[in-house]
Amino acid sequence: MSYYLGLAQLIGIHTLLGLSAYVLMLTGQLSLGQAGFFAIGAYCAGILTVIFELHIVPALLIAALLAAFFAFLVGFPALRVKGLMLVVATIAFGEFVRLFFFNLSWRVPRDGIHVGPDSTNGFREIRYFVANGWSAWEITLFVWTFVLLVMAALWWTDRSRAGAVLRAVGEDELAAQSVGLSLTTVKVTAMTAGGFIAGVGGALYAHTATYVDHLTFTVLLATFAISYPILGGLSSVFGTLVAVIFIQGVLVEGLRFMGDWRSIVFGLLIVVAMNLKPSGLFDARTARLLRRAVGLRGGEKSRA
Amino acid sequence: MIDFIQNTVDGVMFGSSYALLAIGFTIVFGVMRRLNLAFGASIMLGAYMGTWLHVHYQVHVLVVAVTTVACTVLVGIYVERLCFHAVRRDAALASMVSSFVIWMQLEEAAIHLLPERTYAFPGLFAAGSYEAGPFLFRTEQTAMLLLAAVMVGALHLLLHRTRFGLALRATSENPLAAAYMGIHRTWTVLCAFVLMSLAGGVAGFAILATDQQITPFFGLWATFKGLIAMMLGGMGSLPGAILGGLLLGVVEAHALWYLGAEYRDLSAFLLLFAMLVSRPGGLLGQRILSREELAFRRV
Repeated sequence: MSYYLGLAQLIGIHTLLGLSAYVLMLTGQLSLGQAGFFAIGAYCAGILTVIFELHIVPALLIAALLAAFFAFLVGFPALRVKGLMLVVATIAFGEFVRLFFFNLSWRVPRDGIHVGPDSTNGFREIRYFVANGWSAWEITLFVWTFVLLVMAALWWTDRSRAGAVLRAVGEDELAAQSVGLSLTTVKVTAMTAGGFIAGVGGALYAHTATYVDHLTFTVLLATFAISYPILGGLSSVFGTLVAVIFIQGVLVEGLRFMGDWRSIVFGLLIVVAMNLKPSGLFDARTARLLRRAVGLRGGEKSRA
Repeated sequence: MIDFIQNTVDGVMFGSSYALLAIGFTIVFGVMRRLNLAFGASIMLGAYMGTWLHVHYQVHVLVVAVTTVACTVLVGIYVERLCFHAVRRDAALASMVSSFVIWMQLEEAAIHLLPERTYAFPGLFAAGSYEAGPFLFRTEQTAMLLLAAVMVGALHLLLHRTRFGLALRATSENPLAAAYMGIHRTWTVLCAFVLMSLAGGVAGFAILATDQQITPFFGLWATFKGLIAMMLGGMGSLPGAILGGLLLGVVEAHALWYLGAEYRDLSAFLLLFAMLVSRPGGLLGQRILSREELAFRRV
């Protein structure tokens, strides 16, 4: 049972990671730096609960705000680059953050042992949940509370004017500008929101894993972050969730029986999925089919 | 002052290997406007095949060189077919992500081939050095610089003196017009990939023969260094790739000397970020950037 709960936590955290990239992709920005914000959230929340002995909720919020602040700062220079250049610029940012934490060492004595991030050895003993006697059920519930809050917020945003503004900038910047939208505001806001969501994900990750090191936050994690919304499609937040379940639940776990050959098949399957459905597994057509299947009127709200 | 010059010289020497990697990136980007993020991994797999022969059959170093280059080309063709040819034309992004996912696959294959962490890679000559005045040069790095110069010369001739080079440049300039002139796009793109892998295979062999060891991390390392060097110099520009590679080498050498080893990669990424933000086309790529604005718009 604890295996499935662990998997549920992992899926929740990766959904947050994917949603942080999803927000950015709505405005047409593709970022491979989400692992960097995730890392900021993870390390910061870990430091707050371990060194400053804060409660998890304020620690998590402070960590997410810090990640959002850095995303805000990155948002301005990132306005100048688009498409592939933005991808590479954000890779550079993400690697920069990773190397920063690779070098970070901040050890304080506590109960006879030294705790805190220890550069190359990673950040061990983030034992908030264990120390406070949380059960696996409670942790899973805690993680999914945040996932559902973020998903609900994004779902609501998508149905309000703000969602239309984000999508308008993503569809055609020139047209969006000519109806009086400020590209700077919209893009930097999306970047900041993405940073916040990734920060929440990172903070949760650090506490469920109890151990993080810089190798967790490589560009591979950032690639996962953008493959969820790409594979899931941009028509709604559920696409990202479906893609996370497909990749983490079905591919990564389901292919475990293949042992060492898993990565080989895994890579191939993602490529095939992308070739078959370039606009995502959960695109407008699938959404319409599903809606019809559950008895709602199909095609009525064909937004995408 | 002598330290400064010595560092700069070392940087140029080391930067020549980055330049070789950047050339590979620049060829494909010039023709396709797409990034092949599996580039480093394909070189790594090619080099692993060479090492495998060396470990199990103790073949001569030249055989290793030929195997490395040939296998890199084969892997490059595989990547092109799967991630670039098969993916729709307007989905540049999907092919970039696919190529990155394929990187995992190639790395796994390399680990299956040789499961230990580090293997010795045969060097072309024994490590040595010679002095000129107050400065010290390493023999194998000088050879790498020469190799880079020769390859750039050969590539320049190929691109500007042959019909194939003309076709490649025409496709890079305007794919539609090139197609009307009877240039087969698919075929040209495949050839560009072969050329990229050739350059990458030679670069990979030269770098590994200098380091005399190989690990699975080499793939990501090569991808990043080549990418940074290309971006610094200018996307899709051959002189830019060389300039970017040398610049990266010099900056890293100085960061290593004045700030310490942990700042070496940090400074490289900081430099890249600063360059992209202040001059998105790189040093020599501004022209391509303005001409190909479409390519940089939403991908």
